[in-house]
Amino acid sequence: MSGGLVAKGMEVSFGGVRALRGVDIVVSPGAVMGLIGRNGSGKSTLFNCITGFVRPSGGRVSVDGKDITGMRPHQVVAKGVGRTFQTPRLEARTSVLTAVTCGLYASVRSSLVGALFGSPWAMREERLLRERAEAEMERLGLANLRHVEVGKLSLGLLRLVEVARCLVSGARFVMLDEPAAGLTSVEKDKLAAEVRAVAARGLGVLLVEHNIDMVRQLCRSVAVLETGNVLCQGTPDEVLRNDDVIRSYLGALGDIEDAAGGWQ
Amino acid sequence: MIHFVEYVLRGALAGAIYALLAAPMSLLFATARTIDFAVGAYALIAAAVAATIGGIAGAEAGLAAAMLSAAIMSLIFVGLKRLGCEDGIVFALASFGLSAVIESFVLWYWGARSFIVSYVAASWSLGGIRLDQQGLFNLLIAAIVVVILHVVVRHSSLGRMMRASAVNAVGATLAAIPVEGLQMGVYLAGGLLAGLAGLLVLYSAGIDFTAPLGLTLSGFGAAIVFGVGSPLRCLFGGIAMGVAQALASGYLSEALSAMTPFLFILLVLSMRPADTEALAGGRP
Amino acid sequence: MSFVARRGNTLVLAICVLIALPVVTRNAVWTDSAALLGIYALLALSVGLSYGQAGILTLSQAAFASLGAYAAAICTVRWGWPPLADLPVALLLPALIAFPVARLVARLSPLATALSTLAIGSIIAIAIRSADDFTGGYMGIAGVPSIGFVKAPASYAWLIWAMVVIVVFLYENLCHSAYGRALNVLRFDQARAAADGVNPPMLVSAAFAISSSIAGVSGWLYAHYISFVSPESLDAHLSISALLMAVVGGAEFILGPILGTLLLDGLTRLLPAAELQGVYYGIALIVILLVARRGIFGLIEGGLAQVRQLRRSRSGEVTALEIEASRP
Repeated sequence: MSGGLVAKGMEVSFGGVRALRGVDIVVSPGAVMGLIGRNGSGKSTLFNCITGFVRPSGGRVSVDGKDITGMRPHQVVAKGVGRTFQTPRLEARTSVLTAVTCGLYASVRSSLVGALFGSPWAMREERLLRERAEAEMERLGLANLRHVEVGKLSLGLLRLVEVARCLVSGARFVMLDEPAAGLTSVEKDKLAAEVRAVAARGLGVLLVEHNIDMVRQLCRSVAVLETGNVLCQGTPDEVLRNDDVIRSYLGALGDIEDAAGGWQ
Repeated sequence: MIHFVEYVLRGALAGAIYALLAAPMSLLFATARTIDFAVGAYALIAAAVAATIGGIAGAEAGLAAAMLSAAIMSLIFVGLKRLGCEDGIVFALASFGLSAVIESFVLWYWGARSFIVSYVAASWSLGGIRLDQQGLFNLLIAAIVVVILHVVVRHSSLGRMMRASAVNAVGATLAAIPVEGLQMGVYLAGGLLAGLAGLLVLYSAGIDFTAPLGLTLSGFGAAIVFGVGSPLRCLFGGIAMGVAQALASGYLSEALSAMTPFLFILLVLSMRPADTEALAGGRP
Repeated sequence: MSFVARRGNTLVLAICVLIALPVVTRNAVWTDSAALLGIYALLALSVGLSYGQAGILTLSQAAFASLGAYAAAICTVRWGWPPLADLPVALLLPALIAFPVARLVARLSPLATALSTLAIGSIIAIAIRSADDFTGGYMGIAGVPSIGFVKAPASYAWLIWAMVVIVVFLYENLCHSAYGRALNVLRFDQARAAADGVNPPMLVSAAFAISSSIAGVSGWLYAHYISFVSPESLDAHLSISALLMAVVGGAEFILGPILGTLLLDGLTRLLPAAELQGVYYGIALIVILLVARRGIFGLIEGGLAQVRQLRRSRSGEVTALEIEASRP
């Protein structure tokens, strides 16, 4: 199997603690893959492993058949795997347009020296970058926020800006780190619509989420992590009916609906 | 061989003073995650005041001057904190400001002269190796101070509170530990020890208004060689650095000897052993 | 955005220089001060790029400047090169040292990085002092020729300030490029920058190397203008002064360091007792850190933002929240 983003047998240990013990996960183009699990189950570690922020001690990650295991984050981005942050630390005064344009860094071709001397080449590219950023913002309905400072955005819009920033880089696989955490239900619905639209464009999405409703709405397939292992995998309904999952993930709360609203 | 032993012994004696500067630096880093770049300046002001007044009274006045300077720094620290600053680099920057103020004040008031007072010029001869008594006295003082600090940090309730706030400042605050007060106290202790170091330098090699930066850096080098964390390590760090300096000056060149503290710093920071992780880490 | 709008700082500076210099150069003492101020302004600008943009609190800029100055002196006096031929050396030598050092330490915490720059600066200074036959040791090198067509102090003042304008122009280009934006992101969140595709240690090191080149140019100008360099000319205290100037003016603003230089160094020239310079600098720094941590420019910007806010709320312009509500 070569298509898609494939992580096989991922292992990570931090000073003797084995955070991942051989996890397999596949993100296919055009589909939203869900990743759920309790705090400390290894979700974030797997996420960081795939995006290059944590170096795995074992296993392989590949994008469309090309090995990206152990690459540094910026190299992973260049291979078409983008990620968002839950709460990015941004300079509050940056405009939304600038923030999104930052996502285009990987595609910049003019050199640092060219940029320094303001060569016509670099200037033209700069214009091009801005146009691409604006086009992406248009698609996500952010166009009229162009000059608003990111510090003034609501959490929901900030997450959307993160998504735009990730998409604009030309990522073919988009890793979303708990995008719905802390959003109002209206914002969640908007975000879900945008994520669905992203997948409809043929991009693969990995959604790390606590919010069961969101996962159920969006994902065709869900993997549940438990102490560094994949506990079970399947469609959201199958997974949420699985006794092991209910015991592990929802045991403390018992009620699924409760968890959907109140988890973390 | 006899030369080698002599260099090592002399270096060890010279390095003792670095330990006095290093110990408060490591404490401050542990409790407040910052560096006080003004410690060298505290040493200078202590030496200048002590040399001017002279005698025991001079030494006392010198220590008082150093502690007063450190008290000013701790007030600046608290002021910055109250204004919402949590950035260690800003406190460090402010300490540069204070250091500039003290150096410039000394230059203006006393002029560019160097301060030196010799009480004990005698030296002992040990199998053909001359060791000056002042140097031995310096080492003794440094060792006593460091051991006292070590005992305080490891075995007293004050030390326990310090260690708690070093590990988790927020948690310590919630546990009703006066973190800010502790941090101010560490600044003050830094002033006292740096003042003491200044006096010892005054009685041995002498000091002038250009010395503070070098003293601060030497102290910092000594603090990190064996990992920031405990006063005892600072003593060994200071001695190691003094020895390396003496050996470099004996066998290689004066220039390399002068570079030793800086090479130590670069080397240790770039190798990043586990203990300096706290200082070295923080960026992915 | 038009060409002009993206070079506002360069334009403002160029206009100020064109207005001020003809007046200043009428007086011989002022001319000399203006030339030296320009050299310090370059040094402070190099701190601005390094600390304000790349986040490296640098304490080695005077050492890089002295590399530039000694490059000029050695090339022209010892090897008989024509002046100007030594400029590339003065630009590249500091960068060649700064880059690998930064690569080594750029991943450390900001505090550790600052200490490393202090260490490398001291090593350079000691190396220069002790390489007697090459650098003239404590004696230094005298008789550095002036730069061809530029001889009178007034022409030097013009040349130096022209150089300041050029550097600001390049700096402003950088700030408006993808690299400048990436540096800005980096300073707040290295992980966020890495996820944009930035290689943080690499970019930070490159910025530090450019900053050291700017310092090298200031040293180059210094050597040719004063015609003499010694270890005392550009010592470690100047590194600290340059840092203070940049922070007081506002390190992250392009013109901040220049404003800081004018305020600190310009005003000290009016004060009695040169020995008290450090007292004045130090107090200025501490007050600025307490009152306006982003420097004088930060204070001005904050004020302007407030005025804008006030005007907007009066004229009933749409606010961000309303835009959000109207989003489809």
